[in-house]
Amino acid sequence: MASDQGIRKSEPKTLMETILARFGVNLQKMGGSKIQHKGFWSRVYLNEFIPNVLLVLFGAVVMWSASLTIPEASFPRHMVGIFLGFVLAVVTWRYDYSLFADKSMFLLVVDIVLMLMPSIPGLGYNAMGMTGWVQIPLTGFRFQPSELAKPVTILLMASLVASYNGKIDTIKDYLKLCGILCIPFVLILTQPDLGTGLIVLVLGASIIVCGGAKGSWVLITVGIIIVGAFAVVASSMTEGMPHVLKQYQLNRLIVFVDPSVDPSGNGYNLQQAKIAVGSGGILGKGIGHASQAGGGFLPEAHTDFVFALLAEEFGFLGSAVLLGLFGWMILATVGLALRVETPFGKLVCAGVAAMWAFQLMQNVGMCIGIMPITGIPLPFVSFGSSSMLAQLVSAGLVQSVWLHRSKPA
Amino acid sequence: MTLTTLIILLLVILVVALVGLYVFYNRDDKRFTLDIGGAAPRAAGGNDASAEHTVRNRLLGLGLACVGVVGGLMTRLWSMQLVSNSEYSEQAESNRTRTISVAAPRGRILDRYGNEIVGNRPSLTVVAKPEVAEATIEVQLLANLIGMPAAAVRRRIQDQSSGAQSDRLVASDVSRRVVAFIGEHPYLFEGVTVEERSVRAYPYGSLAAHVVGYTGPVTTELLEKSSKLTDADRSAIVYEAGDTVGQAGLEYEYESVLQGVRGEQNVHVDANGVVLEYSTSVEPQAGSDIILTLDAELQQAAEDSLERVTAAIRKDVSKECFAGSAIVLDVNNGEVLAMASAPSYSPNVFVGGISNDDWQSLQSEESNNPMVNRAVGGLYPSASTIKPIMALAALDNDISTNHSHYQCTGWWTGFGDASGMYCWEKSGHGDMTLQTGITFSCDVVFYEIGKGFFESDNPEAMQEKLREWGLGSKTGVDLPGEAEGRVPDAEWKWNYYTSAADADREWKGGDFANLAIGQGDLLVTPIQMVSAFAGIATGGKVWRPHLLKSVRSSTGGGSVVDYEPQILRELDEPEEHLSVSRRGMLGAIYEENEWIAKQFEDLPVQVAAKSGTAERIGHNPTAWYIAYAPYDDPKYVVGATVEEATWASSSALYVVRDLLGAIYNTPYETELWISSIDAGG
Repeated sequence: MASDQGIRKSEPKTLMETILARFGVNLQKMGGSKIQHKGFWSRVYLNEFIPNVLLVLFGAVVMWSASLTIPEASFPRHMVGIFLGFVLAVVTWRYDYSLFADKSMFLLVVDIVLMLMPSIPGLGYNAMGMTGWVQIPLTGFRFQPSELAKPVTILLMASLVASYNGKIDTIKDYLKLCGILCIPFVLILTQPDLGTGLIVLVLGASIIVCGGAKGSWVLITVGIIIVGAFAVVASSMTEGMPHVLKQYQLNRLIVFVDPSVDPSGNGYNLQQAKIAVGSGGILGKGIGHASQAGGGFLPEAHTDFVFALLAEEFGFLGSAVLLGLFGWMILATVGLALRVETPFGKLVCAGVAAMWAFQLMQNVGMCIGIMPITGIPLPFVSFGSSSMLAQLVSAGLVQSVWLHRSKPA
Repeated sequence: MTLTTLIILLLVILVVALVGLYVFYNRDDKRFTLDIGGAAPRAAGGNDASAEHTVRNRLLGLGLACVGVVGGLMTRLWSMQLVSNSEYSEQAESNRTRTISVAAPRGRILDRYGNEIVGNRPSLTVVAKPEVAEATIEVQLLANLIGMPAAAVRRRIQDQSSGAQSDRLVASDVSRRVVAFIGEHPYLFEGVTVEERSVRAYPYGSLAAHVVGYTGPVTTELLEKSSKLTDADRSAIVYEAGDTVGQAGLEYEYESVLQGVRGEQNVHVDANGVVLEYSTSVEPQAGSDIILTLDAELQQAAEDSLERVTAAIRKDVSKECFAGSAIVLDVNNGEVLAMASAPSYSPNVFVGGISNDDWQSLQSEESNNPMVNRAVGGLYPSASTIKPIMALAALDNDISTNHSHYQCTGWWTGFGDASGMYCWEKSGHGDMTLQTGITFSCDVVFYEIGKGFFESDNPEAMQEKLREWGLGSKTGVDLPGEAEGRVPDAEWKWNYYTSAADADREWKGGDFANLAIGQGDLLVTPIQMVSAFAGIATGGKVWRPHLLKSVRSSTGGGSVVDYEPQILRELDEPEEHLSVSRRGMLGAIYEENEWIAKQFEDLPVQVAAKSGTAERIGHNPTAWYIAYAPYDDPKYVVGATVEEATWASSSALYVVRDLLGAIYNTPYETELWISSIDAGG
């Protein structure tokens, strides 16, 4: 992969630019592509853009209806999140993603910094049993750096894997890639945020697999992971063995296997979510008429269980539209991965698509009882600006891949 | 709704705009394909066709996996939202729907003139779920708020008497301030609610407490019985935990009449149980009012009189004198106009659940068993009040005649010197007939009658006659707790004294002599004796004593159903035999002594009466006085007993006189003169 972009000389002007230049990042490049296209809209990847906008709008409607009964679901805050995310997405879109192709070290450092931020005394903020939050000094705002770490990890893994040009030949390289992926994964686990950790693992693994890892190695790795997971669960359930999983995580697994037992209310939550979804019927109960979510039976109706709220209000029709939009958006992203020429572009798209697909499967799946309960938000819909920002930045990445697709690498 | 419409409108416009955009600008893209086509240049730097092929396959695999995810989710949603929709909808509906049962007001209890003896009033009540007992801080807060010790609050919450799962009553009649505080701090008082309950109100205080009884929370046994009811027993009342039911007196006897039918209110609630909206409801049906035969004024007079007389006896003669009873009966239909029992209690202590301490003290011997209705449940030897009936027994069995004469020396040796017996008048009555024997209550006359039965062919004809007059069996008055009493005979004695020597178990002549004066093993209740006297007054027709006059339904425009008086027994006594007893009793008022005659002279009617003083070993005697009036056209029979008393004419007589005074509006205002037994009669 050519690295002429990094070598091109341009005088650093500010301290910030100087520091960034050490990592090979050139802010002046953010002016965008010089390539002329025939019109503005052709610079936007409509196959991804349209379902994405519709999803955000759908999410906004759902959040507005949630705000009617749930005081925590602040509609204005959700809109602020969308606005900020949109601005960031535009910036990302304009910026040439391919400039990150050889900035692996910089990306890794950023990733690690993001992961460690919550542990910095004075910055970290504890919410819902996790130290995954950072309090922005002097303001009341908090954000979850691990969310922003997702697109960063996508870029990191894509930049690493892309250098192999679709053929990871040696076991040493394969293990090196897996090892680097483990850095953000393990750091997130320490927060502890198993959900985000799993997302990072899945998107990283997807990139490695798509990047040409040998099938047999992948199968062996998956086997090891499964055995390891069983070992972790078994040891957590056994008296006297190390309890890697927290009790609440174990409870969620127990409930998933047998919803009739109800340790600490998890079975209740799952049951209520299923009732909400199932009672939605074909057309749903209508905005503001969701008795499950509105009556407070459905917990976390605006965050983790937002899909259950959506399914209750808009029924199967609404759920199908949501899944259709996601399907369209994800397949469009995969399609872009197939079309784009650079391995880096392909893998960025693959990572984003894998992230969305996994989050969709996990979030919707837990609402309908086919996945265990984890605190994974539904992209573009769940309340929470960190997630919204990260997802829109990821979408911006896909758009950037589109915008800079014909640029010679 | 307008905002919703706006959002939908905006959404629609955006969708149209985006679709238009897509169609317009995407024209050149020709097709959406997963195939990048052979014309596409290879990845820069990539010259290995197989590597490129691998990436393409992997990406296709990823796309396929995503399709699988969406498809899998869609399938599951289809089955949940379309196939199993009704099932989930039902669950969602039952989630948010609660049925609140609305207690029906209990029927009131009125006296014969419609005065409310027992009514209802609203009471603000604090109830708590059983789990609250474990929440130490919450219990302490609640205790501070109500002003009760925390331990007492916890004990009440732990009390299971109203059902294991039902809410526990913490405090009744709490102030508005308490209600407001609990309402404003729902998170401090989880599981604690304030209910407005309808509770019993007693406008006359403890008036007729023994008759009306009291209510309390439904017992576990009743709940179980109720839950086993099949559809066939539709008419039966279905109880729920926390219901109030009658537990004594008329409240118990007429529970099925007084108890209403609960209503139901369906509401929609949120997850915290807060009512969001009301939906359908079924109105509760109030219980029926019952109208009693009691006259509240006369009842009050009876209770006041018992109180006044026992207090006077306590002061002068017997410190243990607390208990007694008084009954006024209409001889012509069995209506109970007054029925009092002393000592009494306040049914108010049962409102909202009685405390353990109160219950213990009401049950204790030291407080003289105030819960017992002595008018129907008190068992005493009848003493000399048996004599008018015994006279009938003697006459009917030819043991004695109108012309028989007896000589009373005060000491009777009819069964030999060794078993001689005293008349109460140890100086002797002299020449007596059966009639004067009743008037002067001469024991010797009746010892002779006892001996006469003993020596006759059918000695137990005496007991038969007593049983005919209703002794030894319940009158069937409409009150719980009526006692049967006991008419002793040879068989009974043999079986009762099993541990005694055979000679002592045998029925002897002395037993007849004792029974003839109403002593020994005879036990009767005041209601039995009063009913028997009513029979003497009417000439043999005894109406079943009853307290219910009519029932006024709460539905159907308040229709009234009257109680049909029933004849308990009709005795075929010759008029000339009855007149001996009646004349003897008339004499007991106007001829026995001047002092007694003086006490009754103010009354506008003539009175016939019989006293009785039942000896109790180791105790003061139990005094009886039973009268009927007017003598020539009997209307009322009035009876009274006083335990731990003195001579009947210094105790029970006053109660009877007070009641006759109340009936005939000639109050007895003389200061009570109490004569002691030791001072002689």
